[in-house]
Amino acid sequence: MSSLLSLSNLRITFDTPRGQLAAVRGVDLEILAGESLGVVGESGSGKTVLSRASMGLLTMSTAHRSGTVVFDGQDLSTASREAVRDTWGTGMAMIFQDPMTALNPVRRIGSQLSEGLRVRLGMSRKEAKKRSIELLQLVRIPDPEKALRKFPNQLSGGMRQRVMIAIALACNPKLLFADEPTTALDVTVQAQILQLLSDLRQELDMSMVLVTHDLGVVAGHTDKIAVMYAGEVVEYAETKELFANVRMPYTEALLNSIPRLDQKSSGRMAVIEGRLPDPTQPEPGCAFASRCPYVQEKCQVEHPELQKADNGHQFRCHFPLGVAR
Amino acid sequence: MKFKQLGIFSKASVIWLGIVMFMVVFGQWIPLPKPTNFDIDAMGVGLFDSLKHPLGTDSNGYDLLSNVIRGARPSMLISLISVGIGGLIGSTLGIISAYKRGKLDYIVNTLFNIVLSVPALVLGLALVAVLATNPDPNIEVPTSRRVIVIILSLTIVIIPILGRIARGATLSWSNREFVVAARSMGMKDSQIIMKHIVPNVLPAIYAVAFLAIGVVIVVEGSLSLLGVGIVDGVSWGSMIARVRGDLEYAPHSMIVPVVVLALTVIACNQLGDILRSQLDSREGRL
Repeated sequence: MSSLLSLSNLRITFDTPRGQLAAVRGVDLEILAGESLGVVGESGSGKTVLSRASMGLLTMSTAHRSGTVVFDGQDLSTASREAVRDTWGTGMAMIFQDPMTALNPVRRIGSQLSEGLRVRLGMSRKEAKKRSIELLQLVRIPDPEKALRKFPNQLSGGMRQRVMIAIALACNPKLLFADEPTTALDVTVQAQILQLLSDLRQELDMSMVLVTHDLGVVAGHTDKIAVMYAGEVVEYAETKELFANVRMPYTEALLNSIPRLDQKSSGRMAVIEGRLPDPTQPEPGCAFASRCPYVQEKCQVEHPELQKADNGHQFRCHFPLGVAR
Repeated sequence: MKFKQLGIFSKASVIWLGIVMFMVVFGQWIPLPKPTNFDIDAMGVGLFDSLKHPLGTDSNGYDLLSNVIRGARPSMLISLISVGIGGLIGSTLGIISAYKRGKLDYIVNTLFNIVLSVPALVLGLALVAVLATNPDPNIEVPTSRRVIVIILSLTIVIIPILGRIARGATLSWSNREFVVAARSMGMKDSQIIMKHIVPNVLPAIYAVAFLAIGVVIVVEGSLSLLGVGIVDGVSWGSMIARVRGDLEYAPHSMIVPVVVLALTVIACNQLGDILRSQLDSREGRL
């Protein structure tokens, strides 16, 4: 399989009143054609910034990007704004976290859905309407013709997220970024939307990057998983390999903090103590050192490099799990 | 919102503005005594005293009803045109500068603040004094020229008022997720402004524009009262100006145009409030 998107040494910093905030600190990732990657991490670990920066959507003057983003053989970090914009919609598309705010409240579903079709694919009004109905059928919305005439506030959250997916899929993107697509939805709808995304990915033969804070979400729906912490990829492996063979203490802590039915209901829920390090003041050692249960002296002083192990498993730890220490 | 659902006060406002607009459009063809003809036999006729002059006449014998009806056109047209043009220019500037941000926004916003700091009346007085007066007091300045200068000065007053509303609304709307979503689909900035920003900003502009119409009617009247408006008594403001010395012996000749003007301003404000409350309720439903 060929590489569709490759990020190398991607760094994103923001100017803030408190100094430079490094949201993404040197990420290398590769997404192959037809592959799905789950990006997991807690709030503030740089997942959303990573996905937006890969698309080039961070245009505010305070954001600075270094490193390269190569999409479909084209280096987007040196391409003109117009060239980057040409990849949006048709090459890369994004589903946003909150379907309540990601649709324009004063315009009907139909006009928002056909907008991309007409502008990007040059369809006529009639063709666009026909395709919009197909798209709404594709995302399993009942009675699509009626839905086209509705305003976003007349639809439920799950339906809106389906509309968002339909909009993102409108121009047949090769790569779909799903930025926490289910966080704003309740659990039953979450499962439906995730299943829908996986089905569509296979039907349409797209690649997908699924950004989430929930390891359970990515478990069944992605080929590979990248775990992020403090703007770095700390563990990367195929999904099965990762769950079978956790090497990074942070990933283990994340797994332990998922509530389980067999736990005593009176017991305390497992949490990861402490908080993310201040992104404006990077520390010399491992970013997870202050919260790691296995921390040793070396962790405080030396920043761990990403190590490669068998089966393409990568992790960023001096003292990985599963190894005698 | 349907007319039936409105409160009684709002209904009255809508009906009153309808009457005023009727006077603006058809006032000239209503068979009434000519507003410029004075009736030498009926000077200072009181309210409802005579069938020939239902609202009476002023101390010069001008028929008040026909003056009020004919006065609707200049008063309303001046305010509609200046709010229309000023609103168009102001909201275009406001929306574009707020969307683009950076230097352009800084410059436009500074200009808005500078213009806002000049009182409307002072600006109007200065412009009429410079642009619509003759060095030779014997040569009269044509009314049309005065009207244009008044419209110009009122437009300048309106631009920053509506411009700032548009700017503020755009600032909040352009940070919404759906704008990023539209960009992520490859829409150009101009398309995003026209299709996503403008439809959301427009209701706020409408609401304030109606309030502004009321303000402009009053400012135009004040300019007339100060003698720099339309002088020959054809607008409501200039009617008030003409009879300002007669308050003692023919008070109704001032009360009639004042009441008409006040009702119109109140009705405009009410309509603006209706639009704004509709805006709020739609926001609330999100």
